[in-house]
Amino acid sequence: MSAIASRPARTGAGAEIGRPVDLDLTGAWLVDPSTGREGPAELVVRGGRIDSLAWLEGASGDANERGVVVAPGFTDLHAHFREPGGEAAETIATGLAAAAHGGFTTVCAMPNTTPPIDRAAMVEAGRAAADASGSPVRLLQVGAATAGRAGEQLAPLGELADAGVVGFSDDGSPIQRADLLRHALAYGGMLGLPVIDHPEDLTQTSGAEANDGLVATVLGLRGWPAAAEATAVARDLAILAEVARDVPSARLHLTHLSTAESIDLVRRAKAAGMPVTCDVTPHHLALTDEWLAGARRWAWQALDDHGIPRDPWRDGALESEPYDSALRVNPPLRGAADAHACVVGLADGTVDAVASDHAPHTQVDKAVEFGLARRGIAGIETVLGLLLEAVDAGQPSLLRAIEALTVGPSRVVGDAAGAAPGFAEGAPADLVIFDRSARWTVEAEQLLTRGWGGPLLGRSLSGLVLLTVAGGRLAYEDAEPA
Amino acid sequence: MSTVLTEPSNGSKAEVEATSLDRPPAWPHRHLLDTDVLTWPQVELVLDTADAMAEIVAKRRPRSDALRGVGVTNLFYEASTRTRVSFEVAARHLSADVVNVSVGGSSIEKGESLLDTMRTLESLGARVLVIRHAVSGAPYLVAREFRGSVVNAGDGRHAHPTQALLDLYTLHRHISGGSLRGRKVVILGDVLHSRVARSNLWTLTAAGADVWVCGPATLLRGFEAWAAAGVGGERRFTVTTDIVAALRDADAVMALRLQQERMAAGLLPSTHEYAARYGLTAERLALAREGCLILHPGPMNEGVEIAPDVASGPRSLVKKQVANGVAIRMAVLALVTSAGERSDR
Ligand SMILES: [Zn+2]
Repeated sequence: MSAIASRPARTGAGAEIGRPVDLDLTGAWLVDPSTGREGPAELVVRGGRIDSLAWLEGASGDANERGVVVAPGFTDLHAHFREPGGEAAETIATGLAAAAHGGFTTVCAMPNTTPPIDRAAMVEAGRAAADASGSPVRLLQVGAATAGRAGEQLAPLGELADAGVVGFSDDGSPIQRADLLRHALAYGGMLGLPVIDHPEDLTQTSGAEANDGLVATVLGLRGWPAAAEATAVARDLAILAEVARDVPSARLHLTHLSTAESIDLVRRAKAAGMPVTCDVTPHHLALTDEWLAGARRWAWQALDDHGIPRDPWRDGALESEPYDSALRVNPPLRGAADAHACVVGLADGTVDAVASDHAPHTQVDKAVEFGLARRGIAGIETVLGLLLEAVDAGQPSLLRAIEALTVGPSRVVGDAAGAAPGFAEGAPADLVIFDRSARWTVEAEQLLTRGWGGPLLGRSLSGLVLLTVAGGRLAYEDAEPA
Repeated sequence: MSTVLTEPSNGSKAEVEATSLDRPPAWPHRHLLDTDVLTWPQVELVLDTADAMAEIVAKRRPRSDALRGVGVTNLFYEASTRTRVSFEVAARHLSADVVNVSVGGSSIEKGESLLDTMRTLESLGARVLVIRHAVSGAPYLVAREFRGSVVNAGDGRHAHPTQALLDLYTLHRHISGGSLRGRKVVILGDVLHSRVARSNLWTLTAAGADVWVCGPATLLRGFEAWAAAGVGGERRFTVTTDIVAALRDADAVMALRLQQERMAAGLLPSTHEYAARYGLTAERLALAREGCLILHPGPMNEGVEIAPDVASGPRSLVKKQVANGVAIRMAVLALVTSAGERSDR
């Protein structure tokens, strides 16, 4: 770790979380999506503030894009921290710690807690819990779009906006009633905040277990059609087009898109100038439904040279037991062609952000029959690792991947996120340092989430996070400096 | 293939056991969760072992000591008298200690988890768990943790391996020539929801049969793509909604049970319309080959998926399927326990 010259002596896990950070980074590979620049640089942080940044021309020592990388701290648009009501699966404190381990310095928490976050007092309670945790990672709150997430009338959107929420969502469920979506878009637009929809037509997904395709057919799992997402996306966009004429500030953010059709619908809507943004999750980029049958290859390895999905039975690619309930997630893992469309959308800018959809559950809720398992992957600590696998496979570029974790999500939540990601001199340092060449094995003991299990346990990923600094303060430091 | 049990021995019970149980040719599967993992020699070994078991069953007081002292627990999360009794009789013929556990549908979603139940039964001496469950894949969850052997007695829509093996056994015994290679076998009806159909696709295509899958389009969802990909990525079958094309020159037809729920789910207009278009009637069977064999996994809705005169007619093997089911399950119980117990915990 010669790149982190002034790295302090290790003082025990968590002992110094929150202390102001001093850094002298010499010759690290710095990625700054706010300026579109990357390369060897010298970065000095004093008392938690950026003191100086100097780009180094030409080759510089051991700095290279496959070594130690410095990037702005990541922003997660979509995480479930389960507090209040589900503290056995995650708390705000454990969620923020896990986020920092993943390189995130800002997290937008979804409001589908028990009870849901649909009043100002609940937003304030969450903020108090974040403060009490001692973590410098910023917790931003998404407010419920409808009262009690019941989908019957609007939540007090103005009150929630005054309390500082960054958007409105009934995530976990879509906003089923089209008239309510219309009103939420207009009212949210008036408040300058986006509606974040989880696009799913529930009439097509009742009882659904797995992506409607070969794997579901062979495994006898009830099919979850791609059309259930695409029809919801098409509906949302049609309504947005009308609302935006009356309320030009109306904004729609579509979260965890998973199919080629919905990515394409967003691509066309953006081309038409509509105020829409979207995110994809790392697991929908990198994993596919063939994992349910026991395959463990990445999505891009499941396409042949002509872009046609391979058959894991024909290939002999089934290496694990089928029906791992860790893989049960909403939306479901799709086929390799859909995953590829998500990667292409990310590379060409259709997809604004990569969001974790970190959805921790307890062993009681997850170590059960596949079709009875709660849906969700607690993946906030493996976002970077999965994205780097995609980068290593050819697309997106490293710069674009980092952009989708920083500038992209920051744009979606706008000013509410605080200072824009970057390395402005004098600003509080908000950054992550990771070593692309250092592989780490995903093991339960290393993960800080309280969520149980996970499809990547035992798997090796690149991009070991060495240090996360949020608002100038230490958020995470790797326990075993190399 | 393996050469054991090729002797149609009329020898003693002891000889049968010595051949089938004491030195099985390396049966590798501690569990039987589906037919997909079975090589063709392994399928043949099951059928051959079942032949030996059928001889035990044919005795006046069928009894083998093969599983004496072995705890076999039938853990049924779905009501199924015929399958449960078949496993129970098979286990008793082998002198196993049989325990039956029925769990009502409502307790699946609350209360004791499947893994907790498994651990309790394991502590109580279960060495073989025979599991019937409404959720596809449930036996795989248990098999990951259970020290002994898990036998899948039907999971959701996914698999019913002993049914497929007994169907294959029955067909082999009754088809002229004794082999299914190149013979046209039709699976007719609610294929989408059928674990019997799925498990049979693996074994029938492995047997070299010309397999046709036929039913209304709503009940074939996804199977066109599976047929195009091939079973196991290679073995083709044919999918059609045209019952005339399906039945023409068929050597065997397997009718599947139609559940009332399909109408409520909007998959079919009515039972009446289903019977009119896809019911297996004597008139339609005239399209098939002379002597076409008729199977049904039961229980039958006579007058819906199968006409009463066909169900009980001379070509019907339905009763034979029930009888053969015991021999197949004896064979499966003997083979999976021969693969040993897990020692790593
Ligand atoms: Zn969601």
